[in-house]
Amino acid sequence: MELFVMTLTTGILVGGIYALVALGWVIIYKCSGVLNLAMGELTLIGAYLTWSFYQTGIPFVPALLLTLVCGIILGILVERIFLDKLIGQPLLAVIMVTVGLAFFFRGVVCFIWGTDTKVFQPAVFSIKPITFGFLRISPVFLWSFVAAIILLVALMLFFKFTRWGLSMQATADDETAALSLGVSARFVYAASWSIAFMSAGVAGALLANINGLNISVSYFGLLVLPAVIFGGLNSIPGAIVGGIVIGILENLSGTYLDQFVPGGVKQIAPFVFLVVFLLFKPYGIWGWERIERV
Amino acid sequence: MSTVWLPCGHYHENYVQDQGWWQTPVLKLKMLLLLAVVFVFIPLLLPEYWVGVGTMIGYTAMGALGVQLLIGFGGLITLGHAAFIAVGAYTSALLVLEFPWPAFMIDWGLAYPASIVVAGLFAGIWSVVFGLPCARVKGFYLILTTIAAQFITVDFILTQYVSKIGGRAQAFSLPPGTIQIGPWSMDTEIETYYFMAILVTGMIVVLANLLRSKPGRAWVAIRDNDIAASTMGINVYRYKILAFFVAGAMAGVAGAFWLSNTAALSPEHFTWFWSLWLVGVILIGGVGSIHGAIFGSIFMVLVMEFLQMGVIPLAAYYPKLLMNFAFLKEAFFGLIICVFLIFEPHGLAYRWWQMKNYFNLWPFSY
Repeated sequence: MELFVMTLTTGILVGGIYALVALGWVIIYKCSGVLNLAMGELTLIGAYLTWSFYQTGIPFVPALLLTLVCGIILGILVERIFLDKLIGQPLLAVIMVTVGLAFFFRGVVCFIWGTDTKVFQPAVFSIKPITFGFLRISPVFLWSFVAAIILLVALMLFFKFTRWGLSMQATADDETAALSLGVSARFVYAASWSIAFMSAGVAGALLANINGLNISVSYFGLLVLPAVIFGGLNSIPGAIVGGIVIGILENLSGTYLDQFVPGGVKQIAPFVFLVVFLLFKPYGIWGWERIERV
Repeated sequence: MSTVWLPCGHYHENYVQDQGWWQTPVLKLKMLLLLAVVFVFIPLLLPEYWVGVGTMIGYTAMGALGVQLLIGFGGLITLGHAAFIAVGAYTSALLVLEFPWPAFMIDWGLAYPASIVVAGLFAGIWSVVFGLPCARVKGFYLILTTIAAQFITVDFILTQYVSKIGGRAQAFSLPPGTIQIGPWSMDTEIETYYFMAILVTGMIVVLANLLRSKPGRAWVAIRDNDIAASTMGINVYRYKILAFFVAGAMAGVAGAFWLSNTAALSPEHFTWFWSLWLVGVILIGGVGSIHGAIFGSIFMVLVMEFLQMGVIPLAAYYPKLLMNFAFLKEAFFGLIICVFLIFEPHGLAYRWWQMKNYFNLWPFSY
């Protein structure tokens, strides 16, 4: 029982980070209809940038903020140079451009920073676990989860109450109508890529603190796909729920299934789940209530 | 409508003529010339290194043809094709190494050819398993199932279980002499090249014939509008599954061929990168034409060769370039895909078609 609760907690905490990556993904899809397979590489870039800033002696939080600024600039650049010209093109073309971008980013990142695992030195979070009763949680996970939740709430408020957030929602809902009301679609697309870069950057920096930083961080970009599908492609709460569910699923299968099917069952479980899930519920779960029916 | 440019005064009177292979003498001559180049000039005149490059082009083309069938003709976007190539390769390798073949089959060199057939069938069935969700989902969701196919097959089943069969740690290596077709053992570049050329030609013939008969017309109808196709009496689901099976079988044969090229096998040959590479190849070549798959393969393999040649002299000044060549290649590949999709979305096949039209219509192109 203790093991189960421990696994569940870890799953929820890791799921928070997945939710961050998934959120960036959903925002891009919602606002511009682009299915972004480069999300993992955005995470990677964010992580490496934070690491580089941190290594030059800047404390962690300012380094993260600097990364966010870089993320905004990169997001606008990417949108302007590549994605802008593809609005209205077929699905495959847009997806493959993001795939091309993914390869480009990954190649550049590996070329600049190499493939060795990098560690934040000195460690940002202490290694001593925090204890709640029998639960022992390492501070990295806890802080990551807290940061993820803060960012998620901030983004949800941004979408609900600010002028920019509302105009982004309007564009997602009906581009023509939004244009006729004076919303600049190009601004919205650029903003959505910037936000995606930012949330991916934070997620990358947090992930790098947990496992160390190497190319495998970009794997999370793929791992969130099941999360996004599970939650429904264009629902922000869905992304959060999906992220947490995938986190739990991954950790539960790692703990309980690994003895029967040794190897990387932890990484594969979300994908197996995804294929089966798609067979029965092809278009995901849109709201919180319907999750209980699965 | 015929896609062939007929000279003045030639008309087709029935459908058979319209779909004929070689509709004019010039076309026949052209195709025979092409076969001569592929089968005689390249292997006999070029240095061995470039014959090896030709083999690589052929291997890419074999994979790309399957992807072209799914994406270009069936409209089923797949980003996990390397998984089926891997299934074919591993099936063939395991059959050659572990299966108790009767003595006469080994003596006559039939074990490997038989294993290729089984590999094709098995990879086709494996592909159908992952194609099953296409009954329920379309577009983006189908992409995700194929991505899942890649990770479940290569990163999990093959890496964790199949690679370890017979106490092997990671890679299979096939001892010389096991890859034998009749009297030929595939140990020189030329033999592998010929084997590749025969397989690629065969695949193109099979695919072209499928495309000009009922299944091909059904695939194109489904690609263009699946609802309209089903009202015309096409069993959409069955033909989608058939497309998955044929593409998977072609991937399986390509995988089995890969053995004769490398004589070694490891899951690293079939990464997700390779799946995406194949999709990139058909995008660059042109979606929805057999020419596209071939042009794309030639273009990508040659560009990477030239990139390598260009980097080697520079490496003297900046050794990181060559050390990290794999990453340079990735970055370059990504950039090529982006540039092609933005500036040349119809691919190389479209340019080829335009060139042909220019010469067919010359000098009065209006």
